[in-house]
Amino acid sequence: MRLSVKHLLGIKDLTKEDIELIFQTADNFKAVLSRPIKKVPTLRDTTIVNLFYENSTRTRISFELAEKRLGADTINFATSSSSVSKGEGLIDTVNNILSMKVDMVVMRHSASGAPHFLANHIQVPIINAGDGTNEHPTQALLDAYSIREKCQTLRGKKVAIIGDIMHSRVALSNIFCLQKLGAEVLVVGPPTLIPKHIESLGVQVTYDVREALQWCDVANVLRIQLERQNKPLFSSLREYALFYGVNKKLLDSLQKEIIIMHPGPINRGVEIDSDVADGPHSIILNQVENGVAIRMAILYLLAGKTSAE
Amino acid sequence: MQLLIKKVTIISPTSKYHLKKKDILISNGIIDKIADSIVEKNAKVIEGKGLYVSVGWMDLFADFCDPGHEQKETCITGSKAAAAGGYTDVCLIPNTNPSNSSKSTVEYLKNNSTIVNLHPIGSISKNIEGKDLAEMYDMRLSGAIAFSDGKKPVQQSGLLLKALEYIKTFDGMVIEIPEDYSIAQNGQMHEGEMSTRLGMQGKASIAESIHLQRNIELLQYTQSKLHVTGVSTQKGIELIRQAKKKGLNITCSVTPHHLLLTDNQLITYNSLYKTTPPLRTEVDRKALVKGVLDGTIDCIATHHTPQDWDSKQVEFEYAKEGMIGLQTAFSLLLSVNENIPLETWIHLLTDAPREILQIDKPEIAEKSKACLTLFNTHEKWNFDATTNKSKSTNSPYFGQTLTGKVIGIINNNQWHFNE
Repeated sequence: MRLSVKHLLGIKDLTKEDIELIFQTADNFKAVLSRPIKKVPTLRDTTIVNLFYENSTRTRISFELAEKRLGADTINFATSSSSVSKGEGLIDTVNNILSMKVDMVVMRHSASGAPHFLANHIQVPIINAGDGTNEHPTQALLDAYSIREKCQTLRGKKVAIIGDIMHSRVALSNIFCLQKLGAEVLVVGPPTLIPKHIESLGVQVTYDVREALQWCDVANVLRIQLERQNKPLFSSLREYALFYGVNKKLLDSLQKEIIIMHPGPINRGVEIDSDVADGPHSIILNQVENGVAIRMAILYLLAGKTSAE
Repeated sequence: MQLLIKKVTIISPTSKYHLKKKDILISNGIIDKIADSIVEKNAKVIEGKGLYVSVGWMDLFADFCDPGHEQKETCITGSKAAAAGGYTDVCLIPNTNPSNSSKSTVEYLKNNSTIVNLHPIGSISKNIEGKDLAEMYDMRLSGAIAFSDGKKPVQQSGLLLKALEYIKTFDGMVIEIPEDYSIAQNGQMHEGEMSTRLGMQGKASIAESIHLQRNIELLQYTQSKLHVTGVSTQKGIELIRQAKKKGLNITCSVTPHHLLLTDNQLITYNSLYKTTPPLRTEVDRKALVKGVLDGTIDCIATHHTPQDWDSKQVEFEYAKEGMIGLQTAFSLLLSVNENIPLETWIHLLTDAPREILQIDKPEIAEKSKACLTLFNTHEKWNFDATTNKSKSTNSPYFGQTLTGKVIGIINNNQWHFNE
C-alpha cells in the first residue's frame, strides 16, 4: 500500500485510507520503539533536511529522532528570522541544499502555504511540520492516533478543541483529520479567536468552555499563541485563564471523565492548570511519545517504501 | 501615410455609422473617408473576417511603475502592452518612486505619451503618506487627470474630506479603491470559507463596504466627485447603486478579473491570484456582472499591476499583489459568459471612462482625428512570451489561449498592429 500523495502538505489532501495506512505503519514502528534496540535500517542512505524557519522544540526533536531511528542521515537548518529578512529566498535555499543530494525535506514555516509553494518547485518529498496558521499535519495525526490508542476508534467520538482556533494550525489539521475519521468536532474560545467562517468546515462553535466540556469525550486544549497576534485579541491572560482556562475544579464539577490533550508547549496556569495537564486523564506525554512513531511512519511511507515490515 | 480599413463593422453609438459595415480611409492621422467601398492604391490595407472598429479604448487605473520600479515596467513597455491590448489612453496611478505628487512627475509621465496617451493621476496626499494634501491644483494645471493615492486608499476620513472639498475649485475627481486597513489588516485574501480552509488571514467584505460607506458619506457632505475602482463585493455594488439613486456624483469601475474569478482560485496558494481588492465569492462575482448589466458599473479598469518574478515567486504571504491586465482585458471580458452584448463592453471601454473623466470623446466621423481600436471576437491567440509586451508576466492567463483578438490601434497619427 502507498499513500495517495507524494508530499505531506496537509491533512486536507489525505484520504481516510491514507490516514489508516499511516496509523498501521505507526503501530509497527511503535513496537520497534519499545525494543531494546530502537533503530531500524529502513532509511539508510536517505538524507533528510529539517528546515525550521520558525522555532520549534518538540516537533524538531521528534522529527530528528524519527529520522535517526530509521537510520537516515539528517541535517538541521534553523533560522529564527524569515527567509525574506535573511535575503535569500526559500527556493534558493532549498535548491542549494538539494544540490548536495538531499532526499527529503521537512519544513516548518511562518507563512501559510509555504510548503505548497515549495512543492511546485522541487522534486523531492516535502513534509509540512507546520505552516503559518494553516496546517500541522503530523500533529493532527499523532493526536488522532493517541485518541485511537485510548478509545480504540474515533468514529462517533466527540472532540472539543479549546482556545486560540484562529492562530492555530493544529486546530485546522485536527478538524480535517478527526472529521475524516468519523469524529465530531466542536471549537470553543473567545469569539475574537474563532475564525468567522469556521462553521463552514462542519464544526460546531461555542464560546462557553463548560458547555464544550460537558459535550465532549476528548478535550484538546490549545496554546495561546501570543506571538501570532499583531494586536491583542483578548484583554489579559488573567481574564483568559478565568473564563477559558481548563482547571480541575471545572472538570470535577462535570461528573464525567474527559481525555485531556495539549499539543504543547503548555502555558501552565493560562489555558490549562498543572493539575489537569499532569492529571490522570491527561495523555499529553503519550501524544509526544506517539509523535515519533507517527513521524517514522510518514517518513517511511513518503520515502517510497511500500509497507512496513 | 494612408491606411485603408476594409469591410469593418463600426461600433460607436454616437456615430451615424454605428453597426454599419464600411471601408475607412485614414490619411495623416485623420479619418478621411468612410464609405461602402473605397479604393486607394497607395494605402496600407487592413482587412479580415469579422473585423470591428471602435473609438480607442481607455483604461482608468494602471501602474507603469515608472519612475522607480523600472525592472517591472516602464512607460515604454507599459505603452506597448496597452497598444497591444487595444488601449489608446491609459490613466497611471501615482504609486511610483518618487510618487506622482508634483507637477514635475505629472509632466514626466505626460511627456512619455507616444501612440498611447498617458494620463497621470496625481496623488491626494504628499508622497502618498496619507497625511497632508499634495499640490493637487498645480498638478491639475499640469495635466493630472484625477487624484488618488492609488493602491493605498486614504484611511484618514478627515484627509479625504479635505481632498474632496479642495478639488471642487478645479472640478477634479477623487479615485479610491475601497479598503479599510484596520479591518483588512494582514488579510491575504477574501475572508470566507476558502480562507478558513487554507488557514489564511482574510480580508472581510466589510473592509470594502465600511470604507465605501464612509466615502459616500463624505461625498454627500462635500457634494464633490468620486470614482470607486475595483469594487469587489455584492454589498459594495449595492451601496454605489443606492448612492447613485440619491443623485450623488459617484461612478465606479470593476476589473476584468473580478468579473471572472473567485477566491476558489486560491486553493493552490498561487500568488498570481493575489490581488487588491481580493478575489471574492461567486455571489459577489454575480453581483458585479449584474452591476454591468444594469449600468451601476460605469466602466472597466484593468488594475494592470506588473510584478517581477521575484515579487511573485515567494511564499504567498510575502508575494506582492496584482496582475498585469492590459493585453488580456478584452478577451477576459468576452469570456464573462453572461449574455452581455459586445456593445456594452465597448461602451465601458470607450465613451464611459471619458465621460467619467470629462474629457473629449473621439468620434468615428469623416474629418475627425483617428483614435481607433480594431478587433475581432472570434480569433484565438496565445498570451505568451512572444505576444506579451509588458516587462512582467504576472498573469494567471500567461501561457493560455484566449479568444477575441485586438488587431491594433490607430492614434496620434501612428498605428500599431499585432502580429
